[in-house]
Amino acid sequence: MSGEEEENAAELKIGDEFLKAKCLMNCEVSLILEHKYEQLQQSSDDPMNQVSQVFEKSLQYVKRFSRYKNPDAVRQVREILARYQLAEFELCVLGNLCPETVEEAIAMVPSIKTRGRAQDDEAIEKMLNDLSLIKKFE
Amino acid sequence: MFLLLVLRYYLEEVASLTMFLKVQLSWNVIIAAENLQQGSLMLQRAILIRLLGDFAAKRATKDLGYFTAVTTLDKVGEGKVRQHTGDVLFPVVFNGVTFKLFKGEILEGVVHKVLKHGVFLRCGPIEHVYLSNMKMADYRYFPGENAYFMNEKASKIAKDVTIRFVVIGTKWMEAEREFQALVSLEGDYLGPIASPDI
Repeated sequence: MSGEEEENAAELKIGDEFLKAKCLMNCEVSLILEHKYEQLQQSSDDPMNQVSQVFEKSLQYVKRFSRYKNPDAVRQVREILARYQLAEFELCVLGNLCPETVEEAIAMVPSIKTRGRAQDDEAIEKMLNDLSLIKKFE
Repeated sequence: MFLLLVLRYYLEEVASLTMFLKVQLSWNVIIAAENLQQGSLMLQRAILIRLLGDFAAKRATKDLGYFTAVTTLDKVGEGKVRQHTGDVLFPVVFNGVTFKLFKGEILEGVVHKVLKHGVFLRCGPIEHVYLSNMKMADYRYFPGENAYFMNEKASKIAKDVTIRFVVIGTKWMEAEREFQALVSLEGDYLGPIASPDI
């Protein structure tokens, strides 16, 4: 690390380090952020003071836009969707929007049809049914 | 105690097409010399606090989106002394959640401002999601104190209404450190939806 590089610190430098990124559904993020918020509540009087605006707005958003609330249900949703050979982002959009019909699912995530995997309508319908069962028994 | 901060940040972005990303990052956290004397537990705590502070202060970057939360601290490496100041640089590897919008993505947001030529929606931490009247073809503007848009089927787009839309463009505003997005209702199953409130 040269001194000069360090002086340009505020700048992002795209480079070497390996970044492992995964996509998260709103309901998963909701569990994460709510847990963090609770931790803050235990250790201080005013947790809202300690969180960033980004955190606060994100928490509001995911609480409102989570279709599944129960942690077990959230875990099951990912497990079920994971069985269908979906890409991470496809899984998350489906888990977030909870389409009710095969038609709607394809409109939300067109790539599930075009990828050339064994994603026929029957498979998609079964997947949607499994998801709605979780919702019913949540 | 004031901790001196310089950050350097390496990453290789993995392209993905959804909102919340879980990322693993490697940052350098600098601890001022006077904070090094207090013992290792206090030091670890100082490093974590500094990291959380830097994370929040960074707010957002063009590549990763909005910095929402640190989830786990994976590793704190060995400190390296900076020659001229006596401060110590600690490489830190941690996991965090970020938020980013992508072109072509379909998601939901809430209207917070209605104008003659379109509406502004809020989506996650992003305030400036714009839906132009040209992208909600059948909807007409109804002026007034609580102005709204409505189509022939009496579907209404007003303040606090939840809308499902497709992202047609995003823009990173360097000075404000925020994203703006352009969205559209052109497509099936898009438009106002019943609010999924608890």
